[in-house]
Amino acid sequence: MPDDKKAELIVSRQVLSIPQRFATGPIMGRFLAELLDNRRIMAVRAPGSRCLLPPREVDAVTMQEAVEWVEVGPEGTIRDFDVVYYASPDPLTGETRDVPYIICWVDLDGAGEGAPLWHLLDAPDPGKVRCGMRVRAVFNDERCGCMEDIRHFEIIEET
Amino acid sequence: MNHDQQSCFVIEGRMALPYQYFAGAVGSRFIVALRDDKKILAVRGAKNGTTFLPPRQTCERTFESLEDNWVEVGPDGTVTGFTVIRYREPYQPQEPPYVLALIRLDGADAPIVHLVECGEVASMRVGMRVRAVFADDPVDNILAIRHFTEVK
Amino acid sequence: MKRKRRNVAVIGSGMSHFSSHREEVNQPEMIHEAVVEALDDAGMTLDEVDCVLHGNMELFEMVHQPDMWHAIASGVWGKSGLRLTTGGTTGITLACAADNLVASGLHDVVLAIGFEKLQEGHTTGGITNMADPLWGRSIQTGALTGTTAQAVIDEFGEERAKHAAMKMRIIMDEHAMLNEKAHRRLGLDRQFIKEMADNSPPLVGELRMLHMCSQSDGACAVVFASEEKAEALGAAPAWVVDHETVHREETLMFSPEKTTMRVAAERMFTRNGITDPRRDIDVFEMYDPSAWWGLDWLREFLLLEGDEHLKMVENDEIRIDGAFPLNPSGGVQASNPIGATALVRVAEAAMQVRGVAGGHQVPKPVRRALASGFGGTLWTVLMLLSREKPVLGGHCDA
Repeated sequence: MPDDKKAELIVSRQVLSIPQRFATGPIMGRFLAELLDNRRIMAVRAPGSRCLLPPREVDAVTMQEAVEWVEVGPEGTIRDFDVVYYASPDPLTGETRDVPYIICWVDLDGAGEGAPLWHLLDAPDPGKVRCGMRVRAVFNDERCGCMEDIRHFEIIEET
Repeated sequence: MNHDQQSCFVIEGRMALPYQYFAGAVGSRFIVALRDDKKILAVRGAKNGTTFLPPRQTCERTFESLEDNWVEVGPDGTVTGFTVIRYREPYQPQEPPYVLALIRLDGADAPIVHLVECGEVASMRVGMRVRAVFADDPVDNILAIRHFTEVK
Repeated sequence: MKRKRRNVAVIGSGMSHFSSHREEVNQPEMIHEAVVEALDDAGMTLDEVDCVLHGNMELFEMVHQPDMWHAIASGVWGKSGLRLTTGGTTGITLACAADNLVASGLHDVVLAIGFEKLQEGHTTGGITNMADPLWGRSIQTGALTGTTAQAVIDEFGEERAKHAAMKMRIIMDEHAMLNEKAHRRLGLDRQFIKEMADNSPPLVGELRMLHMCSQSDGACAVVFASEEKAEALGAAPAWVVDHETVHREETLMFSPEKTTMRVAAERMFTRNGITDPRRDIDVFEMYDPSAWWGLDWLREFLLLEGDEHLKMVENDEIRIDGAFPLNPSGGVQASNPIGATALVRVAEAAMQVRGVAGGHQVPKPVRRALASGFGGTLWTVLMLLSREKPVLGGHCDA
């Protein structure tokens, strides 16, 4: 066999694309249904314990069942944020995201400090975003019962 | 748990990720020989004389290097087992029903899996002699052998 | 309560060549390089291995059950085998499992193998699939975050924080230059700290390209043996003194009072009579995914307060010839084949104890070495190795 053929290295390139179905369960199901039907953000908590947001069945710290539903937000305070310059693929579609975009962690009013909600922040100037800023959830008019029913958070301009 | 089961529903999702697989130097030589020379290459171990198909760099038992001891096998071989695929799913190599068989190529010590074109599925049998039919267009994987057919 | 029934020693280790691309080998062939080197280092043949542990990241190469099709080169053929995958900590989880399997008496010799061919998949895409599909997957950006950078900047001021993080990066690169196996050996120049901190392309916030770990292809294999086996082979081994794993809940958003790094270190040090880690531990191989995390976690792992960790970097104490050498191998910022990375920390720590680290051997005597792993929702695994054989039955939880 000629040497030049020996040197060829085979590579197989593919996009693995698998349809999936996720069961919400009763807790996440109610959370998403509230976004869809009522534009409400609902958290849960075990009696006397911190809020869980997104809601989960059990508080992993106290191991208590979280049975109380609490409406929180839609306004809150930025606890932390990330300005993302790295264009990663959206794993739900395989498409590359536009950059820069801002991820934020929001302490929603009524949720305390143990349960910041993770979402996108729409701000005209990423350089001016600061922790402690007041923000508000913006809902889509057309909703489907998913986290993206909240389109993003926006900064509440001081008056 | 005492929750409202009516709140449960199912969300359609998707996982989509790009990936690539490198065959390595040994695997590439095998595929290139299939594709360009229509030859089926295996490697033979010196310690116990085993002929490995597909070829591999190392014997998993003796850890001896195999990559310099190439031998040609086939293109004829014997069916040692088979099954008929009758269901449909998205990533099949051809329309069902079709036959997937274990074929021990002449000179090799273990069978490989491949397609057998035999006309009537009912005519398939263990022990059938078959021959590799190579693809006309260059293919960079085992489908450089398009399928096997019976040698009458 | 935690008691060991048998002593366990690291008697050999091997690593493949680490690189951003290994097109000339497939996965089992790359693993084989590390396995052969580890057996050679241990002075034993495959026949003497009882059990082979195998681990890597899920979803990274898109290969289902890689341990099974790597059997053609991993040495597991006809032996007992287990596959473990715990995210970034996979490598050190393999080490903990090997320690447990030998200490319990189930096996005398266990070979632990970690690998990754990051070039074959999409690392950030794969990690993003870790996030909950209902509320996190559309938001997460792999393992990239700038929040730690921002926290350090907020606490110590922009100029000092950025300088310390880039100084950390440069020291890691200086170490990588001493380690021929390291993937990224950049030759960064100290006189350009400010320029690099300001001009390296930003990834997320103040986390820049230079700060972040590499994406590597590579494999690591480590041989764990019983006391009888280790002593029969004669060479001075690195004894496994203890290991500790600390998890936290599934969301990244909830910040408990203490980091898993600090909790793991407190438990490990209390159990083993370590009152001053900087004095009692001679070298630390930390899983430092970025210079910012490495800097911040130094304070957590060493149970420090205030700006002690910044001073250690500013004063070059973490250099290979400093008072507390950190990652003489160059660490994760230099080489990061993820499923192997945390096992490389254990292998490197053991090499320092055994005195076989070659060009990046710490010049001072190494009696005790610490290795860490990091993964998932910021969880931590620690392993302590020593030159002196541990006294059996000595451990109990405080």
